[in-house]
Amino acid sequence: MTGIQIVLIVLLFMILVYTIVRLRNRKMEILLLSALVLSGFVLVLFPDLTIVLAHKLGVGRGTDLVFYISTLLFWFVILKLYTRIRKLEQLLTQVLRKETLKEESEKLRQP
Amino acid sequence: MVTEAVYIILPVYNESPVVLQQVVDELLERDYKLIVVDDGSSERIDKVLRGKAVTLLRHPVNLGQGAALQTGFEYARQLQARYVVTFDADGQHTPDSIEKLLEPILKGSADIVLGSRFLPGASHNAPMFRRLLFRLAHLVNAMLVRLPVSDSHNGLRALNAKALASICLTENRMAHATEILLQIKSNRLRYAEVPVQIRYSSYARKKGQSAADSIKVFFDLVLHKLFE
Repeated sequence: MTGIQIVLIVLLFMILVYTIVRLRNRKMEILLLSALVLSGFVLVLFPDLTIVLAHKLGVGRGTDLVFYISTLLFWFVILKLYTRIRKLEQLLTQVLRKETLKEESEKLRQP
Repeated sequence: MVTEAVYIILPVYNESPVVLQQVVDELLERDYKLIVVDDGSSERIDKVLRGKAVTLLRHPVNLGQGAALQTGFEYARQLQARYVVTFDADGQHTPDSIEKLLEPILKGSADIVLGSRFLPGASHNAPMFRRLLFRLAHLVNAMLVRLPVSDSHNGLRALNAKALASICLTENRMAHATEILLQIKSNRLRYAEVPVQIRYSSYARKKGQSAADSIKVFFDLVLHKLFE
């Protein structure tokens, strides 16, 4: 096993543990992320597999294939996070608006 | 002439006290009811408004003009307002435009009236670069909204109770201007455009949006389309 393989395996293992600890009750997500991490293990241990896959998909090098897939995943995660931020912002706005209006409407109610 | 109360919603953020005072006085002279929404200005504006017959609502933090307008709308709804006008606090709008803006609503031919700088009879002294930005915004709106309006980013608007009840802004920042158009469409509100006078002082120009802001608005819009 080469040095980089050890580093990657340790990191992947940490991600796996972290996911299971954090997402205890969300079985679907644990399953999905575990599948991702496991395929990561396989690809790190047998890097030649990526070349076979890449050639099947018409991509020249295995690394390129991994790079393309990571880019897609990266964008997916960004969009997911952005929706979450938007939702939070809307929630915050609603709370602050309620607070802002509360004082004035109390004044309205007592003539 | 309007017999019922007309509520003016004035979103304010870090406005110069002199300009704000002038705008407020001009509006009060004409017997409009004023709802000032302070969008978390760093300095309190209570002092500027002391002794004036206005309602002051204050966001604890800065949320954006869209959020300020929506707060004003919701307050006006609580008051069961029948006529509401949105007005910019930087002095670029003339109070004389309000009567004209209300005309289609009073006649019953529109639920919401949009002020326009570009219709015949309107006037504005926008600098060249700003005009270019307007053109660009117009194009983007034509693509995203498909509502034939000549001026989508004009802060002067009049709403009747029906429009007030159906418009609900979720875009906190400047993308709300387009969101209003989208909601006019989805709620099937009858709309009209009226030419208005805009006076760009150097102050209004400085307070207004820059080219970089319009890029932000554009992204907000694309994401709005994606997620809503």
